[in-house]
Amino acid sequence: MTPAPLVVNGLVVGAMLFALGLVGILARRNLIVMFLSAELMLQGVSVSLVSWSRHHGDWGGHVLVIFVLTVAACEAAIALVFVLQAFARAGRLDAAAWQSLRESVLPRVVDRELPASDAAVMEFPRLTPAGVEPEHDPDAALEREHV
Amino acid sequence: MTPDGGLSSTGSLLAVAVGCAAASLWLLLPRGESGLRERAARRFGMLLGAVALALFVATGRRLGGVGEEAVFLIVALVAVIGGAATVVTRSPVYSAIWFALALAGVAGVLLVLGAQFLGVATIVVYAGAILVMFLFVLMLAQPTGMASYDRVSNEPLLSAVAGAVLLGLLTLFIGRLSAGPGECCAVPSKAAALAGSGQPQAPVAPEPPADSAGVDPLAANHVARLGGELFGRHLLAVEAAGVLLLVALIGSIAIVSRTPPDERADAAAWRANA
Repeated sequence: MTPAPLVVNGLVVGAMLFALGLVGILARRNLIVMFLSAELMLQGVSVSLVSWSRHHGDWGGHVLVIFVLTVAACEAAIALVFVLQAFARAGRLDAAAWQSLRESVLPRVVDRELPASDAAVMEFPRLTPAGVEPEHDPDAALEREHV
Repeated sequence: MTPDGGLSSTGSLLAVAVGCAAASLWLLLPRGESGLRERAARRFGMLLGAVALALFVATGRRLGGVGEEAVFLIVALVAVIGGAATVVTRSPVYSAIWFALALAGVAGVLLVLGAQFLGVATIVVYAGAILVMFLFVLMLAQPTGMASYDRVSNEPLLSAVAGAVLLGLLTLFIGRLSAGPGECCAVPSKAAALAGSGQPQAPVAPEPPADSAGVDPLAANHVARLGGELFGRHLLAVEAAGVLLLVALIGSIAIVSRTPPDERADAAAWRANA
């Protein structure tokens, strides 16, 4: 029962996607990125299921992937509602904002000396003004034709 | 090439690839650094990731034709690079867009594997609906620039090592599966299982894999037969999935439209006074 080369390669791709999703869900702190990583793991499982389905000549893997899609849609709807509620309470999407739920023996997450921002300052070109600025009518700004 | 020599060299290549992948992920994950150091780490991490991907490609099985191999290579690389970028990108919006690219790659892999309906359904359901919902929530919840918690990770080294160990174990197992007919991991065939349930018979020769010639056994009339299977044998599961979708819809609306208890008490007191 040696699998075909295509099946083996598909299994390896599925394993890589699953491992990447695992790293993301372990390491990242943004709740939404964590959910994206979970979806990545689901994609890896889907690729593996379809590979095995091809190997066995059976429809089971395909049907399972369809149910994975369904459950992922439900999960995304419910999870995003929870994320929105958590954001409304904590004011940020940080998983460490909920660290009071941790085990009492675990240490706290403390962020020390983060850089303020690593985004480069945007430099926009300044256009030279063309023409002459007309006289402003101060009453025009207060005038309301509608409402 | 003898099987033993080929196996050991492939194994060592895979070990190097997994190590490179772990180091690359550790370098690429946000670690609260900034400026030149971060940029250097990112470049080196990308280099190591490229090395790891090249090693994985080198240890992969050769497919039949050059065209098929090229197509599979491209879609698989798109899927894996998109997935890695999803995990390591600082900005969650860019992360979601990289995830869309990974989804396109996954859909391509599914198409190459012969799952036509699933490839298209992945694009429609994930990239069309779920991802847009993610982006919508991101825009709602994070209107300003990058937050501090997007620039740090929980234990980046341990996470990368955990992922690499998992990947190494899985690829090791998959490589052993394809190495030869080992007794340890031979999947019992349906015929043998059926024979075992009845009266004892002579051992049945293991049935050849359905995909032995590289031809997809499910290719003919694919979508029609998938629909027949789904609405025939799995009809109850389809009904259950429909109920699940309805429950999720009602549940999400119920959760999001519920006012906090203190506000409800305030409103009740206000109405009693008025």
